[in-house]
Amino acid sequence: MTLTGEFFAFMSLALVAVIGGVLLLNLTKVIHMVVALVFTFVSIAGIYVLLSAEFVAVVQVMIYSGAITIIMLFGIMLTRHHGEEAEPKGGGLRKLLLFLGVLGFGAAVYLGIYDLNFEAVPNTLHENNTEQIGISLYSQYIIPFELTSVILLVALVGAIVLARKDDEKEGDKE
Amino acid sequence: MVQDLLESSAGLFNFGIFFILAVILLFVILGFVTMAILAERKVLGFMQGRYGPSHVGGKWGLLQSVADVVKLLVKEDLIPKAADRPLFIIAPVIAFAPSFMVMATIPLTDKLQFADLNVGVLYYVAVSGLTIVGMLMAGWASNNKYSLLGGMRAAAQMISYEIPLVMSVLGVILLSGSLSLNDIVETQRESGWFILWQPIAFIVFFIAATAELNRVPFDLAEAENELVAGFHTEYSGFRWAMFMLAEYVYMFAMSALITVIFLGGWLPLPFMGFIPGAVWFALKFSVVVYILIWFRATFPRIRADQLMEFAWKVLLPVALGNIFLTALIKEIFLK
Repeated sequence: MTLTGEFFAFMSLALVAVIGGVLLLNLTKVIHMVVALVFTFVSIAGIYVLLSAEFVAVVQVMIYSGAITIIMLFGIMLTRHHGEEAEPKGGGLRKLLLFLGVLGFGAAVYLGIYDLNFEAVPNTLHENNTEQIGISLYSQYIIPFELTSVILLVALVGAIVLARKDDEKEGDKE
Repeated sequence: MVQDLLESSAGLFNFGIFFILAVILLFVILGFVTMAILAERKVLGFMQGRYGPSHVGGKWGLLQSVADVVKLLVKEDLIPKAADRPLFIIAPVIAFAPSFMVMATIPLTDKLQFADLNVGVLYYVAVSGLTIVGMLMAGWASNNKYSLLGGMRAAAQMISYEIPLVMSVLGVILLSGSLSLNDIVETQRESGWFILWQPIAFIVFFIAATAELNRVPFDLAEAENELVAGFHTEYSGFRWAMFMLAEYVYMFAMSALITVIFLGGWLPLPFMGFIPGAVWFALKFSVVVYILIWFRATFPRIRADQLMEFAWKVLLPVALGNIFLTALIKEIFLK
């Protein structure tokens, strides 16, 4: 394995992503978890850049910076921040089962990945990838694309219906 | 020169060159920020019939901002006892770092630029969105109700106004056929500036940009007479300076972006090509900054509910209509 700049960049980004993920699971305060999540998402965007998929990287940052901010707002508004109640730890049996589960997952992933061999097909996906994404999105995948937008619209309408208050009833109560 | 460097192999020497170039850019921006603060105070003074800074550094008060920055840097570093300490420390960094990162893609002239990304416009919007996280973190970590309110307002406002910002640029992108800032400027060489072709997009973009910059009339996040100071109420000294710095660097970046997208970047007016491109860029850029300061002197702050309604019920439909109109024009007349 040669030590190139790309290797260093990949290792540092991957390290930040993994550490962010681990911290997300281990930290106790909601806001700290969300900050760990920010680091994970941003370093994953960095890995996309290394794969010369700038468009996907930029969209990743754009979508998730907004999404994370919203998660943070929900974290602030919908959780309690006063009582630091320690959760009851599981017994020895539970820990053992957890450990076995982690081992099994590790083994399965290892077996799956170890012999995997992608044929390196020379392609031109890295040139003008924004244009290529646009063209295939609007020619080959136009129906799934439009269907997705309908689903998003339904979700949006649902959210508005849920969030909307009945003004008259509110007025009666007061 | 930069293009050759970008394509050369990675090494310690090249890293050193990039590092030095980045430091030079940082100092240029710091120089701009000190002058911009001075200019803001001078122009505000002029518009309000007073003098503005006039003692430190000669009649024009040229060293006033420098003196202010030195004062901020030597101030005692205060962290409230009840604050969330790690977040309180990291928040100014997260708020400032993206503002410097966006500077990398903005072409000052056709040669003077760090990275020619083929998704330049989107990169700007995406990375500048990360600052919101820093502001919200600051508001939360301070453990102060005014800070939290300011952070919440900042988050709601900046997420809402990002949408008209992107939507209004889409008209320009339709005409230029590229997301790269260099290509957008080169298109304007033949067709004329996009402010002529896309006046609606320009107005929407300018309003949304003012809101993204948290400047009057959209400065609800730091409304000093409602919220003490907004999300940075508890900050002082150099941490507070980081927030202010981020704000003014964004002012630099956003003015540069408006210049590049709508005012033709470094392109000269007809028959005046003998003046170098950098001077043209600086002139247009200064006009945009002046207009931003002018806004601050003349507009009252709008209410929070008006702010949201304006973004979603006025700016967004107008921007969408503009996209539709541009697509029609392109399909019918420019085919």
